[in-house]
Amino acid sequence: MGVTLNIEVPFPNNQQAQIVYDVLRVDREPSRSGVEKELKVKDCILVAKFTAELPRQIRVSINGFFDKIDLITETFDNFGPPVSESYSHFNNA
Amino acid sequence: MVIAIGFEGSANKIGIGLVQDGKVLSNCRRTYITPPGEGFLPKETAQHHRKVVLTVLKEALEQSGIEIKDIDVVCYTKGPGMGAPLSTVAIVARTVAQLWNKPLLGVNHCIGHIEMGRLITGAKNPTVLYVSGGNTQVIAYARKRYRIFGETIDIAVGNCLDRFARVLKLSNDPSPGYNIEQAAKKGQKYLSLPYCVKGMDVSFSGILSYMEQHTEKLLKEGYTPEDLCYSLQETIFAMLVETTERALAHCGSNEVLIVGGVGCNERLQEMMGTMCKERDAKLFATDERFCIDNGVMIAHAGWEMFKSGTRMRWEDTFITQRFRTDEVETTWRDD
Repeated sequence: MGVTLNIEVPFPNNQQAQIVYDVLRVDREPSRSGVEKELKVKDCILVAKFTAELPRQIRVSINGFFDKIDLITETFDNFGPPVSESYSHFNNA
Repeated sequence: MVIAIGFEGSANKIGIGLVQDGKVLSNCRRTYITPPGEGFLPKETAQHHRKVVLTVLKEALEQSGIEIKDIDVVCYTKGPGMGAPLSTVAIVARTVAQLWNKPLLGVNHCIGHIEMGRLITGAKNPTVLYVSGGNTQVIAYARKRYRIFGETIDIAVGNCLDRFARVLKLSNDPSPGYNIEQAAKKGQKYLSLPYCVKGMDVSFSGILSYMEQHTEKLLKEGYTPEDLCYSLQETIFAMLVETTERALAHCGSNEVLIVGGVGCNERLQEMMGTMCKERDAKLFATDERFCIDNGVMIAHAGWEMFKSGTRMRWEDTFITQRFRTDEVETTWRDD
């Protein structure tokens, strides 16, 4: 059966939510974590859905998730705001 | 003029540095040091990097005297290394790339060491011995790749030294290897140890097991900890010099470059120097600023990639614990 957890994390604006989303979406959950994570952005909100067999697995994943958001936010505060309205190097290759 | 910033955090060092066309603008670093007898684990190491990463970034930017708008490319260590520390540092690199609207490049850690070594020493086409806590490889360049001629079949040479330091409860400050090196200088009595070269590959786990099992007894028999450090170093370094020599002969090269954290061991440099002299080859090595993991090496390797036209799609800027040196096409080398 498994467990599912939906989380909504609000940000001051859509751009910040979008950047957090882009930074987080790149790294896959480690395969042995047993967790599947789906991310999307809805206006100023980062929407995350975690699915796993065991609650314990989700707990570990969520901890990491919030730690990462915390680090991104602190980086934002120290080295932001963004210099442009959108990122121009998504499809460089 | 191309300016690159590099983020490194694949093991217990976190480094950030800037480089402009081969000129080092800043090179800032912190090391996570564990108590004697203890190694560093992924989770705690990541927490350490998390705590200091933004401070190190500020320092690196200030020391470089560069304005953010003048940076051309953000580079970070894509792998190999420990997952959690790699990921922590990559997250900051990704975030600032977005904030500053700069292209982002993931760099192979080993390639970083090689290119930094070539830059600092001026070695043109060396046979490379890459020795650190996590890696042991004999490498030579051929047709657009750094090819691995020999490597460890189990643990890295630095891992063997680090773990022996734990047996002796030596300090991990500034590094266990440094303290073994200092102790070895006072060693007198040589103890014959298992010597484990298999073709072009080396093995250290058996030697480590031997040391772990026999140290207590040997100390009682009259060997000093210094004797054991000396004997261990002589044995494992001889193995490395042997395989490097064979690669050198095979490639017909006349340059040897030692990179990686163990590469700043002066006894290893001395032994390699003797071999090089006998073969009329030249030895190149760097000091701890560039040998030990640092951010500039990632910036410089990224700079080479960027200048030669390498770009990465955002989806490819992930981290990976396994990433072999020969997976990277060296677009920046034409020889």
